Amino acid sequence: MIDNNIEKRIVALQERLIYLKDIFAGKHADDSDLLQDRLASFSRKLRSDEVSDPYTDIASMEDLFSYVESKLDSSVTAMDRVRIVRHPQRICLRDILENVYDTFTEVGGQDEYSLDPSILIARAVITRHRGKKTYHQPVMVIGQEKGHGAEFRNGGSVKPWGNAKAMQFMRVAETEGIPIHCYVCTPGSFPIEDYPGAAQQIARNIYGMAGLRVPIIAIISEGGSGGAEAISLADKRIMLSHGYYSVISPEGAAAIEGHLKEGERASSELIEHCAENLHITAKDNLGFGYIDQIIQEPPLGARPWHFEFFRTLRQEVIRATDEVIISTRALPLLKTLAQNRHARPTANLEHLYIHWGLSAGARSRLVALRQKKFLRLSRSAASDKRPMYNKVMELLSSYITKPWNSFKYDFYRKHQRKIQTFVEEIDNEWETFKYRLLSPWRKFKHGIEKKNNAKGEALMALSEWTKDSRRKKWNYLSPRYKIDKTLTCPNSAEYGCLDLWGPDLFGEFAGVCSYCGYHFPMEPEWYVRNVFDKDSVIEFNSEIEAGNPLSFPNFDERIRKAQEKNGTRSGCMTFEARIAGIKIIVAMFMGTFRGGSVGAAEGCKFVEAAERATKNRYPFLAYVHGTAGMRIQEGTHALIQMPRCTVAVRRYIEAGGLYVVLYDTNSFAGPVASFLGCSPYQFAVRSSNIGFAGPGVIKETTGMDIPPRYHRSTEALARGHIQGIWDRRQIRANLKQALRTIGGRNLYYR
Amino acid sequence: MEKDTVHQDGKTPEALAITDHKVLVANRGEIAMRIMRACHGLGIPFTALYTAEDSASCHCDLARELGGEHCLYRVSSYHDANEIMSVADASECTAVHPGYGFFAEDFRFARRVTKRDRKMIFIGPSWKIIRELGDKINTKRLARSLGVPTVPGSDRPIYDEAEAEHIAKSIFEFQESQGITHPLVLVKASAGGGGMGIEEVYDPDQFRSVYRRIRNYALRQFKDEGVLIEQRIKDFNHLEVQIISDRSGKHPVHFGTRNCSIQSTGRQKRIEVAPGFAPETLDYSFDAAKVLTNIVEYSLTMATKVGYDNVGTWEWIVTRAGEPFLMEVNTRIQVENGVSGCIAHVAGRGSVDLIAEQIRLGLGEEIGYTQAEIATEGVGLEYRIIAEDPANNFIPWVGKIERFHWKDQPWLTMLTHVPTDRPYEIPTEFDPNLALAIIWGKNLEETKERGKIFLDSIVLEGQNASGEALRSNIEFLKTNTDQILHF
Repeated sequence: MIDNNIEKRIVALQERLIYLKDIFAGKHADDSDLLQDRLASFSRKLRSDEVSDPYTDIASMEDLFSYVESKLDSSVTAMDRVRIVRHPQRICLRDILENVYDTFTEVGGQDEYSLDPSILIARAVITRHRGKKTYHQPVMVIGQEKGHGAEFRNGGSVKPWGNAKAMQFMRVAETEGIPIHCYVCTPGSFPIEDYPGAAQQIARNIYGMAGLRVPIIAIISEGGSGGAEAISLADKRIMLSHGYYSVISPEGAAAIEGHLKEGERASSELIEHCAENLHITAKDNLGFGYIDQIIQEPPLGARPWHFEFFRTLRQEVIRATDEVIISTRALPLLKTLAQNRHARPTANLEHLYIHWGLSAGARSRLVALRQKKFLRLSRSAASDKRPMYNKVMELLSSYITKPWNSFKYDFYRKHQRKIQTFVEEIDNEWETFKYRLLSPWRKFKHGIEKKNNAKGEALMALSEWTKDSRRKKWNYLSPRYKIDKTLTCPNSAEYGCLDLWGPDLFGEFAGVCSYCGYHFPMEPEWYVRNVFDKDSVIEFNSEIEAGNPLSFPNFDERIRKAQEKNGTRSGCMTFEARIAGIKIIVAMFMGTFRGGSVGAAEGCKFVEAAERATKNRYPFLAYVHGTAGMRIQEGTHALIQMPRCTVAVRRYIEAGGLYVVLYDTNSFAGPVASFLGCSPYQFAVRSSNIGFAGPGVIKETTGMDIPPRYHRSTEALARGHIQGIWDRRQIRANLKQALRTIGGRNLYYR
Repeated sequence: MEKDTVHQDGKTPEALAITDHKVLVANRGEIAMRIMRACHGLGIPFTALYTAEDSASCHCDLARELGGEHCLYRVSSYHDANEIMSVADASECTAVHPGYGFFAEDFRFARRVTKRDRKMIFIGPSWKIIRELGDKINTKRLARSLGVPTVPGSDRPIYDEAEAEHIAKSIFEFQESQGITHPLVLVKASAGGGGMGIEEVYDPDQFRSVYRRIRNYALRQFKDEGVLIEQRIKDFNHLEVQIISDRSGKHPVHFGTRNCSIQSTGRQKRIEVAPGFAPETLDYSFDAAKVLTNIVEYSLTMATKVGYDNVGTWEWIVTRAGEPFLMEVNTRIQVENGVSGCIAHVAGRGSVDLIAEQIRLGLGEEIGYTQAEIATEGVGLEYRIIAEDPANNFIPWVGKIERFHWKDQPWLTMLTHVPTDRPYEIPTEFDPNLALAIIWGKNLEETKERGKIFLDSIVLEGQNASGEALRSNIEFLKTNTDQILHF
């Protein structure tokens, strides 16, 4: 008869063996075979009563397992980490809630009876003691729940409404003034476009978190791309040592790198290769500065029975929360004292009580610190080839222009308005007086005019007309207009459009099918030259170059080719221009440069442009000629642009600017799910597609067949994502109208 | 799809001798036949087109007769420029004659013909002139800049409501001062055309609401809210001046005037007469001879100014007070060119084929005569014979023609694509003209008389699917013959 306890421990070891085999996927077979043989022979012996002291033997068996696990831990590759965090035995959020917090109550649903069971929200409490006093410190815990493989959890892949729920309870936490702990355990968001659309909801979350007035701590276990960003714009970002944080799943990267077609699968070598080169580990990300700290997990990753690990985790989340609170303190001396006390590794945080509420001033400092923290990130990942002289001059001039602008717009303008109103009133009175005084003279003059009936002549004479520009409609024509070739409209089968002659189509018609109005894609140059006032475009920061910060294999060559083909140094062109005399800052993402993907350089230029617009009180336009998402070959250097650029946008909008986004051709993924999607004024050019993931990716990740026209701009309009669809030929007129009428309480021309 | 083919002998089309050309007749029916005959007369080979619906049309027979079996190509539509270019390339044409309708006034088509890799000649004015004069505002402003009278009102799109109201008010006052009892103002979308976005205002108080309606319509429909405001003239005669010029554009001459005032309710011409008025035989409330001289002069002034380089027609309205106003310029050969041709003499040679002249000049020949050598004699009259019901809003009649014949006369030219030796199903896809009858007489009286003789001799019978007899406008033409040139 075997002892029940021994039986349980054998089962546990079997589980560990399965886990070990799973995460290495066939590698280290000799080690796992050894363990398997030893475990099998042990249990055989046990069953045939050949073991004299099972407790000693099982303990040595466990030691052996631990030894092998420790030994293999050093050879865990990036892809092994992906398998670790996805394994059903991996700790999940419920384990953390049970072991790290003292009590918790799930809110917004329970288990499968939830709006979206893949996200779990709980009001949790951490109890701390100081002397005889007990303090209960409530926190809002938000995170994706993978639930040890429970199907209804959808693997932690959150639907748009799940992310909306997360945002809702972050707002609740803000109202209650309690910190938020976000546990990121997601392979990515569920890529569906149901209201308000996956991208749109993530953008709202990121935008919301960029200004949330309570401390946010993010703990990343599985940080899959946009889904991770939806809850991870935090004051402190902690990563578990065996987790990963990546712009895309290695499989997704492999599909792109291998140029796979629908239905094909990438080889495991290619996936391993991508995982390695994407630099997705905790150590990599700490080195880049995108996380603040790593919490060491037990060998081969934390599982629910690693109680020591939970204790460490508890210590570290408390420490992180305390540190964020302390960092907002106004008095430097108290701040330093507290920081030193907390930094000591021996400090027992259970007994160091710090009040987690914040004063109004501290909240503002908190938000400012968080925003600056993100704005500082990834600077070195873009290769900034601006001459030193320029940079210095810019810095110097900003010392002068900043206070000057602030005086001019914040102080002078306000008072000017009052003076103006007064002058206008006086003027009105004077005009009325003049009118009465001169009325006899007017009557006399009118009488004379009536007699010489010059009306007929006037009606037949040539009138003054200065604005006749109908002949020369476009300042720039696509070079394709020189090619004698006919093109077939994609809608011809449906609407019977006749073939179009290239020179007409790409010249006069501005790429618009004259039968159905379909918009053929045009070059970015077309917009630069035709939308803005002639010769008003002044580019800046063109020297910030897209590079290869991860030294991704063969990527230098590809970037260089894109630069040559496109004639620009990066996929984002930032410039100052005028529309009907109104100065405007524009960031243009060009679909012609590596699909319009956004990397560190593009993000850097975007942030600079937003800051320039803020400084000068100019309107800010993001014209998206096309974007395929974040540039995956830059890994988290690209991914971090999502929160980073959104922070820049939020600062700009809150300073009273007008941020308009205009989508053209195809706009997908990260940028739409962050700094583009967060604009209150988003428009699309006709025939464009907007969404989170393309049809192929949706099919691949969800198995769903999507309805036709799923990503059309008309669908985005119907869903409320965008505010309008513009004809390409009307962009200039519509922008003019927008600049005059919408948004922006603090623009220079108002 | 087009192929990049080089000319057979590497020459640009302008450098070819006239008989080395090959003309693509990009039209159908009666006009296609006239073009083919003209080409044949000039010794120029041609290629003709037809569609499935049109296979029974006589223009196919004539093409085979004059050009042989291989000169005829079937296309799916006369409206598809791509197909027309393909036929031109396949048959190695060097020039395209658009006829009237279809692509005749489409500057983009003309531009494509002349600018493509395998360049051809567009037989018509150059594309820039078509574009220039195809734009109503542009034409009106050009006219005004040259002192040519145009309909009172705005000559540029009006975007401002206050300005619009001011103009409308002036037009009402102007008409009152002219003694017009029911003044009317016309509001139309400046970017519109073909009768869309156009409305009459008879009451100044009503103007604002009409203006806003048209403006909104224009914004929706044409993405431009510009509006034109003009006097609406109700009581007028429709006159036109036939202009012709060679490629140099320096020596435009005219072939007199025509009067096209007898029209259907939908403002489609039914009877055309040359010359435009008959001051010797009829009484007018104004100096008709002077009006004719004036409009000819104005038209030539404009043609010279723009360097007009082929045939074209300046259309005028003449009010009861004898004021001419330029309406528009038709940058093409017109249906009724034959009435001017039949009364014209060049250097003593009788009756001119304006289509042949158009082809000759279009291909680059010099005009070879001056205005002084052009003389006219007699009165020409053209009837458009159409299966329609004039009593019932000129609704077209559709069915099968079973009997169609008339008595030939030396003074009669009958132009028709309808066969007389077999029944003919009228295709519904195209304009309903069946035949043009051009009659010449030495004076107005004789022309009218001959017209009636002709109309009495014509037999046009048939029935439709439900067995109803063919309806035609012959009676309408007969009753209106007495009215011609009266004002």
